[in-house]
Amino acid sequence: MKRCVTFFLVLTVLLCPLSAEAEEKIMAAVAANFMKPFEEIVRLYEAKTNINIEPTYTSTGRLYAQIIKGAPYDVFLAADEKRPALLHKDGLAENPFVYAKGQVIIWSANKELCQVKDWKEMAQNPCVKKIAMANIETAPYGTVSMIALKDMGLWEKLQPKLVFAQTIAQVFQYASTESVDAGFCAYSSAFTDEGRKGCFLEVKEAQGVTQAACVLRRAADKEMADKFATFLHSPEADAVKRSYGYK
Amino acid sequence: MELFPLYLSVKLALVTTVLLMIMAAPVAYVLAYSEFFGKSFLEALVSLPLALPPTVLGFYLLIFMGPKGGFGRLWEKLTGSSLLFTFSAIVIASLVYSLPFAVQPMRAAFQKIDQKLLENAYVLGLSRTAAFFRVILPNTMGGLAASAILVFVHTMGEFGVLLMVGGSVPGQTKVASIAIYEAVEALNYHEAGIMCMTLIPISYAFLLLINWLNRRS
Repeated sequence: MKRCVTFFLVLTVLLCPLSAEAEEKIMAAVAANFMKPFEEIVRLYEAKTNINIEPTYTSTGRLYAQIIKGAPYDVFLAADEKRPALLHKDGLAENPFVYAKGQVIIWSANKELCQVKDWKEMAQNPCVKKIAMANIETAPYGTVSMIALKDMGLWEKLQPKLVFAQTIAQVFQYASTESVDAGFCAYSSAFTDEGRKGCFLEVKEAQGVTQAACVLRRAADKEMADKFATFLHSPEADAVKRSYGYK
Repeated sequence: MELFPLYLSVKLALVTTVLLMIMAAPVAYVLAYSEFFGKSFLEALVSLPLALPPTVLGFYLLIFMGPKGGFGRLWEKLTGSSLLFTFSAIVIASLVYSLPFAVQPMRAAFQKIDQKLLENAYVLGLSRTAAFFRVILPNTMGGLAASAILVFVHTMGEFGVLLMVGGSVPGQTKVASIAIYEAVEALNYHEAGIMCMTLIPISYAFLLLINWLNRRS
């Protein structure tokens, strides 16, 4: 009996800090390509406001699936316009707004591979045996890369080389560890420390990736979430975005 | 709607089971019958994949089998093609991942053999190898089969490691667990549902078989 009581006392003490934690925080669902700039933006915002931002980074499609199942996010920064618009239509989100415009590149850790005319030549180079691409359904950067390949009539031809990653971040991970020879990455990857060690070619034929964000209706503190959404447009945040190649 | 990933899962599980049974037998034999310095280290090493998160295994396998990794380079020299993101790569990953599931039950089966039986065999002039094939193997069939089926179902259910080293290449590494995960992520619940409904009875049937074999031995 005594032991039992002690056990529950210890348990209560252990659990207490968790439930008592009522500090101000925003849960953000962020598309994987925007991870690096978002970290910087969060640092700026937290220094200014004392509000904690807790980000979850993964593919837009995955985040979308979580949100419609009721995941407790306050804001959603997608890598497309489609999914925020769908959430808005279903009454799950406020009006979406565009926060960044990205571009697809083909990135390689091997600098020699970029000594060609354009990305199509690089992709078809026999030395490039494996090319990573993000999931074509759930990752918008994957979808855009696929469309570009199809438009150029290369989709079927490159099939044997293609390797699929779950998110655009995993594509870059495969490419930077040289598990693959090249990868269809986000332009922003080229601006990271790791990204500068390799080379890239722009995939000009790919559509630009218009990235929209929205405040979710179920946000715990709407006003707080709105303020953060506004901050995404501030000159400070814009400077961070520009430094990672977003328009 | 594709059932190819299911076929690929079964193929992966079968290949892994056959290879692993052959590879695990000597390890289990050594662990069951001999005493040597460092035995407990070997035991712990064999069980390590049980204790590690699949991400840790996946991470090291990704480096190790990659074009810059030792094994990846050796493979490329021997076969002329790169290893990572191929069927061979996920077989290797599964061998590592399922190793404890092969060795542990096999070792237990070997240890259960009546020592007198073995001694008789040696007295009657059988060599160690002959005794293994003519005395140990026939007397541990139940345990061996249980171990094989355990490896089979464990490989069927493999996910995390494959997610890291597989690269979801259709027809090569996109096995059922990965295909289901991607279908759910893409909100294709119908497709995911069909694959799940097919996978459950397969795994259940094999587990029933294990129970039956265990009771018999």
